[in-house]
Amino acid sequence: MNGAETMEFFIDHSRCIGCKACVQACEECDTHRGVSLIHLETIMRPDSVQTAPQVCMHCEDPICAQVCPADAIKKTPDGVVQSSLKPRCIGCSNCVLACPFGVPKYKAEINQMMKCDMCYDRTSVGKRPMCATVCPSGALTFTTRENIERTRQGMAIRDWQFGGETVRTKVNVLVPRNVQKITVTIEQIEATSTNEYDVANLLLGD
Amino acid sequence: MAKPPVTIPELVSQFGPTLNRIPAHGWNAEVEPDRIVKTHCCFCGQQCGIQLKVKDNRVIGFEPWEDFPFNQGRLCPKGVKRYMQDEHRDRLKAPLMRKEGTGFVPVSWDEALDKVAGEIKRIQQTHGPDSFALLGGASLTNEKAYLMGKFARVAVKTANIDYNGRLCMVSAAAASKKVFGIDRAANPWSDIPLARAILIAGANIAECAPITTNYLWQARENGAKLIVMDPRITPIARNADLYIPVRPGGDIGVFNGMLHIMIERGWINREFIAQHTTGWEQVEETVRKYTPEYASRIAGVPASMIVKAAEIWGPASTSFLLHARGIEHHTKGVLNCMAAINLVVATGRIGREGCGYAMITGQGNGQGGREQGQKCDQLPGGRDIENPEHRKYIAGVWGVPEESIPHKGLSIIPIFEAIHAGKIKGLLAISSNPMVSLPNNSYIREAFEKLEFFSQIDFFMSETARHADVVLAGSLMEEDEGTTTNVEGRVIHHKKVVDPPDDARVDWKIICDIAARLGQAGKFTFDSPKEIFDELRVASKGGICDYYGITWDRIDREYGVCWPCPSADHPGTPRLYEGNKFNHPDGKAHFQPVEWQPAAEEADGEYPIILTTGRVVSHYLSGTQTRRIGALVDQYPQPLCEMHPQLAAKLGIAEGDFVKVESRRGSVTVRASVVKTIRPDTVFVPYHWPLDRAANNMTVRAIDPISNIPEYKICAVRVSKVPEPHDAIAELEMEAGGVR
Amino acid sequence: MKSAERPNSVLKVSMANRRDLVHATLWGLGVATALLVAIFVGSNSLKHYDAALVPYTGACVFSAFGIGYRFAMWLRRPPTRKYWFRGWGIFFRPSKLARNVVRLAQVFFSDFFAQRFIEKRSPARWAAHWLIAWGCILAAAVTFPLSFGWVHFENAPGNQEIYRAFVFGQHVSTFHLGTITAALTFNILDISAVMVLMGVALALFRRARDRGAISVQQFAQDMMPLLMLFAISITGLFLTASTYLLHGLNYGFLSMLHAVTVIFTLLYLPFGKFFHVFQRPAQIGVQFYKEEGARTEQAVCLRCGAPFASRMHIEDLKDVENSLGIHYQLPGGGHYQDVCPVCRRKSLAVAQDEKWREQGTRAAASQPAGGIWPNHQ
Repeated sequence: MNGAETMEFFIDHSRCIGCKACVQACEECDTHRGVSLIHLETIMRPDSVQTAPQVCMHCEDPICAQVCPADAIKKTPDGVVQSSLKPRCIGCSNCVLACPFGVPKYKAEINQMMKCDMCYDRTSVGKRPMCATVCPSGALTFTTRENIERTRQGMAIRDWQFGGETVRTKVNVLVPRNVQKITVTIEQIEATSTNEYDVANLLLGD
Repeated sequence: MAKPPVTIPELVSQFGPTLNRIPAHGWNAEVEPDRIVKTHCCFCGQQCGIQLKVKDNRVIGFEPWEDFPFNQGRLCPKGVKRYMQDEHRDRLKAPLMRKEGTGFVPVSWDEALDKVAGEIKRIQQTHGPDSFALLGGASLTNEKAYLMGKFARVAVKTANIDYNGRLCMVSAAAASKKVFGIDRAANPWSDIPLARAILIAGANIAECAPITTNYLWQARENGAKLIVMDPRITPIARNADLYIPVRPGGDIGVFNGMLHIMIERGWINREFIAQHTTGWEQVEETVRKYTPEYASRIAGVPASMIVKAAEIWGPASTSFLLHARGIEHHTKGVLNCMAAINLVVATGRIGREGCGYAMITGQGNGQGGREQGQKCDQLPGGRDIENPEHRKYIAGVWGVPEESIPHKGLSIIPIFEAIHAGKIKGLLAISSNPMVSLPNNSYIREAFEKLEFFSQIDFFMSETARHADVVLAGSLMEEDEGTTTNVEGRVIHHKKVVDPPDDARVDWKIICDIAARLGQAGKFTFDSPKEIFDELRVASKGGICDYYGITWDRIDREYGVCWPCPSADHPGTPRLYEGNKFNHPDGKAHFQPVEWQPAAEEADGEYPIILTTGRVVSHYLSGTQTRRIGALVDQYPQPLCEMHPQLAAKLGIAEGDFVKVESRRGSVTVRASVVKTIRPDTVFVPYHWPLDRAANNMTVRAIDPISNIPEYKICAVRVSKVPEPHDAIAELEMEAGGVR
Repeated sequence: MKSAERPNSVLKVSMANRRDLVHATLWGLGVATALLVAIFVGSNSLKHYDAALVPYTGACVFSAFGIGYRFAMWLRRPPTRKYWFRGWGIFFRPSKLARNVVRLAQVFFSDFFAQRFIEKRSPARWAAHWLIAWGCILAAAVTFPLSFGWVHFENAPGNQEIYRAFVFGQHVSTFHLGTITAALTFNILDISAVMVLMGVALALFRRARDRGAISVQQFAQDMMPLLMLFAISITGLFLTASTYLLHGLNYGFLSMLHAVTVIFTLLYLPFGKFFHVFQRPAQIGVQFYKEEGARTEQAVCLRCGAPFASRMHIEDLKDVENSLGIHYQLPGGGHYQDVCPVCRRKSLAVAQDEKWREQGTRAAASQPAGGIWPNHQ
């Protein structure tokens, strides 16, 4: 990591408008042409239009690789966690179930796990990943840290807490400046409904 | 006899829509393109830069074009999958002639063109020159739009030409012309991030102009406050500082109410008003009664929201207004726009960095398409067809006597009314699909059935082309070359990427060929679109939309040039009104007092719910192109009726139920989507689908008296739960108008 | 506390305790010894063993040690061990054994013989893999028994035209030199070499053109094995050519060259891409595990309440995570492993969005016209 010149991936879920340009562009990527690997979740449509993209976060110590019985998930020297090695992956789905970010996809028809590899065909030759190039909202951005700090109110962090498990990722998430890490709590997990965006409530006024 | 020659399911099985899911040369990463062509997306007025990959004269994929400054590589899903409209099995590859009971049969170009020209002559000889009408489109290049206008006045010699921009931009255009004398976004998009307050009125930016989102969020990062007015919480509205769930048609309540409070609190620029505007007194007088309480009753939202909006907008140092179809698709569309623009003028925040407003164009060439003279009342350069000076100049350019140029003709809805009345007997259309896009659809279908002759230039068998006697196989955007003018007024260059397949022909050539058969070969001697553009430049010279200094070379070098650009050494005009110079003869902006008025059809006891229509992100206009692209159809396969849980509960409707949405004019049967993000008195159905899924079955055929835009955003409906339909249309695939 | 200090897995592997090493070494030695014994016994106490093949045998024994060692090491990994024992447990359950054997045959045919799952990835990839795999299997099936002295041929007494084949010293068949059986038997290595060469060519062709493959392939991992197979096959064919076409020209040198390529590949076998030959059959065990999972209780997601995996799989995974030092227990109760992947993605976005909302609420309190983030009420 040599500071200014290094391009990094930044996610700001709250910018997402759910247009799925990323989903459509993902399958144009040469390492998995025809298969879209990014996730785009509609959080709870009856209540809200909130959506969220999820690319692979490229953990420093990937849990997917740790739980892989076939030793099929490898990280490149530049820290990109690759799709499963085709000769090794036995399609067991351990990684799919254990990844704290819910990233790997099990493809039953080829009996193999595939996941976002940060468009390795592009990023390894200095191009930006498909999704972060096309994203019209800036929810997904591939740029320098310096550029993000200059143009965004938030701060780019890469530490996550899932219960007792701390995870550090290569991909950054944008949060307000006072936040050091994102902790996923049982309260958030159980928050499956909201009236915050109920137009009927808004019409009642103060 | 413009009826489909065989049943709809038979036509669908022959011409689609079917879905293209696999690119030419397949989903592999082995084929190397021969060429990568820098061009633009054709699927909305943003006109994003994109690169298309070509192998063996086939488009095989895309690559973002990050150097193009407007979108910097950003695209929406339509842009990403746009290349899938190429190499499509539904593509029309030869002219087709209607044959009753059989369908359409391929014929030679000579036969087809002779037939079209012969029918034009026959109908005009029998019923007079204006009995044959033309329809253009706002997805045409500037060159083709210009050519259509000239073709109408010089070759067909009919007054009756109009275009589908009438369904899109005309309210905004009329309002801007009234206030400022120019019909164009006042500012480049680069001003948006510099604004401290942003008001978005009736624009679902996330779905209809997705790449503008980044500009908005960037403004937010810079500290801007965002106000969004919409009956639905759109993705942008979710993150707005202030979301105002305005009642459809209640916008003037918010605008005038805001102005009332701004006057009260001294948030208006009296010095600017005195020096650079006229008509302020009447405006001040008009808004006096729009107290927060009064305004709140019109807008259908709490008064506190209007106060809060004024508190954000009034004292801001810089500001930007964005408006779109949400306030424009009304019988008071022009009034709505003027009321919104009054907020800009009253603060004097226009014509400088971070200060101004823009209307968001919808169609591919929503801006350029309305400048080149394919409107019923317009000559090239945005000139007035009734102005003797303007007529004289254009007559000179065309080399025709001034008196031979017809006068003002009918706009699109009156054209269909004239067909019903038997005054118009023949129609030639290009780049439009009235069978999906015009209101009160059954009325439109009846009009087609009354025509003696109808011909359509199209690349796919659209729902409208099914009614044609002759279908002329034209060209996709990437199969021809030309310019468009994007949302900023920036003239950009669409490159020719591939040739039209087989016997299909570029559109401009087809038009010139018909002109030749009408005896006007000498006036249509163009060898390339570039020659058309050069004539357009001259025709626009001295007009409001002056393109004279813009050349294709300059466009390529400068990433587009913004009009007005009167000379080769003029840099173009990204920002209008700098130095507070407005385009009326007195150099001032003209305030327009606006009083609210009801819609043509408000909800009542019989039809108690308001229907509002709109778009979804994965489809473009009438869906002729996007309903043929598998990935886009998967994203939103069929129209849904959005309704609030309170309304759903009252009607006994649950998520996913089939519902019949019914107005006095027609109905659709679709599935319900029960969501809290819409006003409980309003339902929403997107309009991209045909037949029994066409939202325009319900909409009202009422138009704004100034702009003639139809009132797509308000009509009265009732909604009821129904069993799943199983008729022949319902059984079609969803992209063809079926329902699942 | 623990989680913050947990060393990363690379470190964990390097610190893999001594017991794992000893365990795996013993397994490696065991497998190598078993092979030596089999050679001794199978060749009738070396009576049919050709001493010229000692270098080959040495490489084989080393390879056997390596494979045993690596396999045992592999099975020491908690997720692998879990799957291994669980898979066999399910397979050998007496009530299901008969059915499982039938199922095994089916899976064996589709996954091993036909390798259909690769075809769905890419027909070109499948063709290349199938040709290489079956070329190698054929070649191995001939050369190993021959060089270990498990199979040998003798002329029928008194007739040079008739051959008799012996397996483990037992006479199994007799054939005439002019028959197809004879032609096949003596040229099988040439056939397999041609298959492998075709497969290698296809694979190289694909790897040179597919932009996706080009970006992720590594020389040592993906090119090296193809080059080794190419070398073995081509030197083998040279031997045939030398014998039949060139009257034995340079036969000695060529056979040494061939031996070098084979020995090098045998030594490489346990450590590179070829090891997947031994790992991959685990896929069949996974198949049984999944089928068992589908039949039994499903785990439902803590958030959405929908079933998303078998309860057995989730509980096994929790065990594996425990032994790996991954702690997903949530402070307010509940276990993150009980949240389905979809809901994980949603929870993350909600958590991130909420940070901005908290910020907005705070900012709103200090600013009259709302903060930087929504404040609808």
